[in-house]
Parts: sequence; structure tokens; C-alpha cells
Amino acid sequence: MTRAEIEREVLAWIAEGVDAKPADDRFDALALALFHLQWERGAAYRRLCAALGRDPRDVRHWRDVPAVPTGAFKEARLAIFPPSATVRTFRTSGSSTSARGALELDDLALYDASLEATFRAFVCPEEWIRFAVLAPSAADAPDSSLSYMFSRAVARMGAPASRFLVGAHGWDPDAAIAELDSVREPLALVGTAFAFVHLLDRLAERGQTLALPAGTRVMETGGFKGRSRELTRDELHGAIEAKLGVPRARIVNQYGMCELASQFYEPTLRSGAATDVKFIPPWVRTRAVDPATGEDVEPGQRGVLVHWDLANVGSVLAVQTSDLGELAGGGFRVFGRLRGAEARGCSLAADALLEPR
Amino acid sequence: MRELVELAAARRGLEPRRVTRALAETFARWCAPHSPERAQLAREHGVYSPPVIERGVQLALAGWTEHTLAALRARELSEPCWIPPVTAVWLAGSIPTAAFSALALPLLAGSAVYAKPASADPLSARLFAESLARADPAVGAALAVGGDAKALDEADAVVAHGSDATIAAIRARVGAARPFLGYGHKLSLAAVGPAVEPIVAARRLALDAALWDGRGCLSPSWALAIDSPRGRAAELARALASALEELEEELPRGRLDPAEAAELVELRARAAVREGTRLEMAAGASTWTVALESGDVRPPPGVFRFVSIVPVSDLESLGAFCAPLAPQLSCIGHAGFGIERARLAELAAAAGVSRLCPLGRMQLPPLDWNHDGQPPLRPLVRWLDQESAEG
Repeated sequence: MTRAEIEREVLAWIAEGVDAKPADDRFDALALALFHLQWERGAAYRRLCAALGRDPRDVRHWRDVPAVPTGAFKEARLAIFPPSATVRTFRTSGSSTSARGALELDDLALYDASLEATFRAFVCPEEWIRFAVLAPSAADAPDSSLSYMFSRAVARMGAPASRFLVGAHGWDPDAAIAELDSVREPLALVGTAFAFVHLLDRLAERGQTLALPAGTRVMETGGFKGRSRELTRDELHGAIEAKLGVPRARIVNQYGMCELASQFYEPTLRSGAATDVKFIPPWVRTRAVDPATGEDVEPGQRGVLVHWDLANVGSVLAVQTSDLGELAGGGFRVFGRLRGAEARGCSLAADALLEPR
Repeated sequence: MRELVELAAARRGLEPRRVTRALAETFARWCAPHSPERAQLAREHGVYSPPVIERGVQLALAGWTEHTLAALRARELSEPCWIPPVTAVWLAGSIPTAAFSALALPLLAGSAVYAKPASADPLSARLFAESLARADPAVGAALAVGGDAKALDEADAVVAHGSDATIAAIRARVGAARPFLGYGHKLSLAAVGPAVEPIVAARRLALDAALWDGRGCLSPSWALAIDSPRGRAAELARALASALEELEEELPRGRLDPAEAAELVELRARAAVREGTRLEMAAGASTWTVALESGDVRPPPGVFRFVSIVPVSDLESLGAFCAPLAPQLSCIGHAGFGIERARLAELAAAAGVSRLCPLGRMQLPPLDWNHDGQPPLRPLVRWLDQESAEG
């Protein structure tokens, strides 16, 4: 299959929506075709496959397709097209001195299709809704995949009064609170988890609670990244319910990463009940593996999450995360980042090397 | 804390010579050919394979004799000084010999010790304390192993090991009025010059990487090889892969927890995708990795027996690689520099290195080494300068 044929097939699958059949045969055929394409055109990926002793002759099932750990995106360009064709680059968050991973795209059609299909299904089933975004817009943060997602959602689903409450240089929580307090229609209040913490902390300092209009839903994502105090998912959702007046059954956590075109949502709004299990779109497969062997962990056990995302046509199909999770209820739960145990010893971790002191 | 009062009482009246002898006897027990203490640690430690514990402890403690201990005390504490009655020692990491020296040094200075073991290695401190008590119960009574953080507030001095964040937090808690020694996490590297056969250097380097599975601050995170004539670095890489493979049977690597295994997978993937990097790994359940770099990169530091060989054209290039690492470099293990060793020492000192040692001895620091550039005993005590009226 050519790249255009693969893209056409994947786009067609995404167009069927998140309730389309997961269809293993369909996934397998597309995954193998995509692996062949990426192995042929991606020199860096081919080097990784060689180091692992894999080439297309050994790969007969999507599970055999070698996954690329997210750290490798910091090390080499994994795109399968020339740099001159890049139309968008998303970068992982990081300090100014540490290397940042990058996902380059030469075509946004698949990225947008996957983004819109899942965002609409899990956050915004209505045609239009007013957005309040606790994150900068794509214009203010052009290399942030999160900002791109929010901007795209606002452009496609946002009512005219939608606003980004965070700018390129930060935000004014008091102004954001005033804006939220004035809203009289259902709202999609979406943003980064750490921005929600700052908002909630400011409300607590002011001794204030808000009662956002009925029909409002909240979507938080992105973790804390050391930019606010850390709360568990339950604590954060509890505080949102208490301080913003949005019931837990209307609070959605989204899990995504710069290196993947597709995102994962808790189907809370669709089912009407709070859940911490992330939904896997039909065009994605997820495994929880033992990193030492690459084999699936036992059912109910925690492993490292690895995703095979057919929408990742321009880079690599399979991405190994640094997140600990378990498969459950047709989806997966996330338990946070893997943390180096103290047993590591007294050598300095790579991430700490040359960080600002 | 009542325990600290009891420790202070136990320490009172202990002659330095008696403490020195008890410590030396304890080290000798741990070093003995069929040491039951070492065998128990090897069986129960859990992080390292038993042969690594057996070999690592035996090799490291070989020079920790009564003579060395006495000489160290005489060298460092010959003048009148105030010695803290009780020192709190907060341990970190999983390397047993690092725990032993951390416990022994304040005792040698004349302080009693309240020690909190590392969560990854609760055993080494406890077994050391038990063996010290067997060697001399009175000296053993001056060492207690516990976990009460109040000791940080009430001890007369504090020694802490751990991450920079841990050290900063404990330093802030201790304040400026009491002696405090902090040992943060560090990195080390190997340097291979032109005057050694690659196969010889590789065998020594393999031992440095295999002992403590590359987890320690003295483990070689990189090996910089003078690539002149061109091809020597590649030769070293091939020889290192063979040497690590041979050692795997003799000194098998210990278990990795899932986060560590994922870290190793990522290190390998990063090396594999880098243009110009050649990767060699053990077959099957791969326990060692050698990455031969192309020379113009600074790869992430290796760990868990992952060693990156970085070719450099000359000593000055080696110095340029080290210079930005200045706050974090601890040791350089070297071989093959001949008369250029003096220049290597200059460059190492400029890069903040506090220890230069022959390759193959990186994991065997003498007890009296100036860990992180600090004298081992002097910072613990407060000096009394006595000036005469004559000036």
C-alpha cells in the first residue's frame, strides 16, 4: 500500500467514529502496511529495528511492530518525509537546557480527523458550545500539541464567545474567575491540570466558589509537570466539583502525548458516570508491557503503556510511553509516570544532568 | 530522643584506639574468605546478584585496615577540636560499601551514630551494626539504626546522602549551627589513552561497569577514548562488549525494577536511533550494552551496565567533554596516558573531578578519599585554635 492509500483507509475508519468496530483484521493489515512504509522511509527507525533484530520479514502482526520509546524522539528525527515538507512541529515540554522531543507533521488531515472525532465524542457532542480554555492558543504556543488541540476544537466546535484565558506570557486568575462567574450558558471549561490547580487555589484564597451553569463540562489534561502542587485525579476532580459546581460525572480526564496523533478520553460524559478508564479509539491499540521483556503483563497487573496509533502515519506507528498503566474494561488506566526507584544508586539520572540548578 | 541520649552516653569514654580496632575487626570479618556477614548480605540484599556483592565488598574493603583507619584519624584530627557527640547519618542508594564507610567515618572521628538506612537497602546498615557489636559490644552500642527523622533536629551533626533535592531539604532543616555534610548524586567516566592495549583497558573498564551494575556515582557513565590512530575507540568498544559478556557469568547483573528496565530500553533506543552510533548488546535477555558514538555527540549517561564509548581526538577534546559536567563529575578512571597523566589531572581538576584512579579501581575508593572533594572527617568537627600570648 502507498502512503496515500493507507491515509485514505485510516481517514475512512476515523470517519466512522469512535463507535466503529475495532476490527482486528482491519487494524492488522493497516498496521503492517504502515510499518513497512515507516521502516523503508525512516532511517532512524530502521536503525532501531536493526538494533532490536527486527525487519519486515519478522513482523507479521501489529504486536510485532517495534515501539519507539518517547525518549528517542529527543535524539533523532523520526519523520518519514524531508524536513522541507514539515508544516507543523509539536515539542514535548522541557527545560531550556534539556533536549525536547519533537513530532513533525507534513499533513494535518489525519491528526485533525482523529483529534476532532474523539474530542467531539467525549467532550463536545453538541454542535457548538462556548469554550473557556485554561491554556494558551496555538497562536501563542505554536509548538504545543495541547494548544493546537484546543484551538482546533474551538475553531470547529466553539461558540463565538469562546475564549482562551491564558496568553503567551501567562494569565490573570482573577480575570479568569470574573469571566467564569459571568457565564450563564453551558460551558466547555478545558485546560491543563496545573492551570486548574492554580484556578482552584486562587478561588480558595478568595474564599469563593463558583456555580457554573448546568450542562457545563470540564476536561483536564497534561498532568502537573512541576508547575503546581500535585493532586491525585480524585482530589482534582473533587476540588473541581466543590469549587466550580461541576458534578464529577461531567469531568473528563484526557490522556495524550506530543508523540501521538490520537488522544484518549474517559467516557464520563457519554456514560453519565465518572470513570478513570480511558477509551481506546478503534484505530489505536494499547498494551501494558513488562519493559524488561516487552511481553504483556498479566491481566490486572501494571505495566508500561505502549500505543500503536494508525493516525501516526508520518512518524512511527508504535510509541512506548514512560507511563505506568493497566488494561481494564476495554480501555486502560494510567497510574502516572514511572519513577526511578531509589535502588538506582547514587549516580545522577540522565534527566537531572545539566538541568538548571 | 532517648536513643540519642543513650548513644551519647555509649560514646563517652570510648578510646579512639578501641573504636579504630573494632572498626578494623569488623571490616576484616566482612572481607574474610567465607564471611557469614557478607554471605547473608549477598543472599538477602535483592538489588545485586550475590556474586557482585561478594566480589564488590571483598575488593572494596581489602584496604580498610586498622593501619589505614589510624592513619586517617591521625591525619585529620591531630589538633584539639570539638567532636559532635552524636551524628545522624541519612543513607541513600543501594551500594553496601558506601553505607559502611558512611557509618564508619563519624565513628572513627569519635562520634556516636544514629543511622537511617536507605529504603532500597535496609540491610547493609543493620548487618554492619550487628557485626560491629559482635567485634566490640561497647563500640557497637555507639551505633544505632533507626528511622526517626527527629534525629535530624536533635543530633549534634548530620551527614546526608541523596539527590540534590533531598540534600537541600535536609540542609535547610539542620540549619547553620550544626556541622552538616551533604553528598549528592554524581557521575563518573573512564578515560582511555593511547598507551594501553584496548583489550587490557576493556577488561578493567568492564569490571568498573559491572561492579554495582553501573548504579553508583563512581560507575563509568561514559568511556572517552583517544581515537588515535583512528579505529582504537571501535577496538575498545568491541573488546568491552566481549569483556562484559565474559563477566556476565562471573558477575551477573541484578534485577531491574520496571522503571529501571524502561530506562534501559529508552537508553538503548536513543542510542539506536542516533546517526553514527553503533550499538552492541548481549543476546537474549540483554544485560549489558556498549554504544560506540560517532564522536561529536554527548550521549545521555549510561547506567545498569550501559557504557557509551565516545571517541575524542586528544586530551584537550577530552577536557572539553568534561568541562560542562563540572558540578556533577566525581571520578575519572584512566589508563594509557603515560606522561600525559599530569595534563589529564589538570583537566580533571578544572572539571570538578575529585578523584583520579586507575581504570579497574573506580569502585574501590580508599576509606580516606576526599569524597566530593571534602576531607572525610574534618568537616564533622569544630576546631579550637589556641593562640599563645606571644603571638
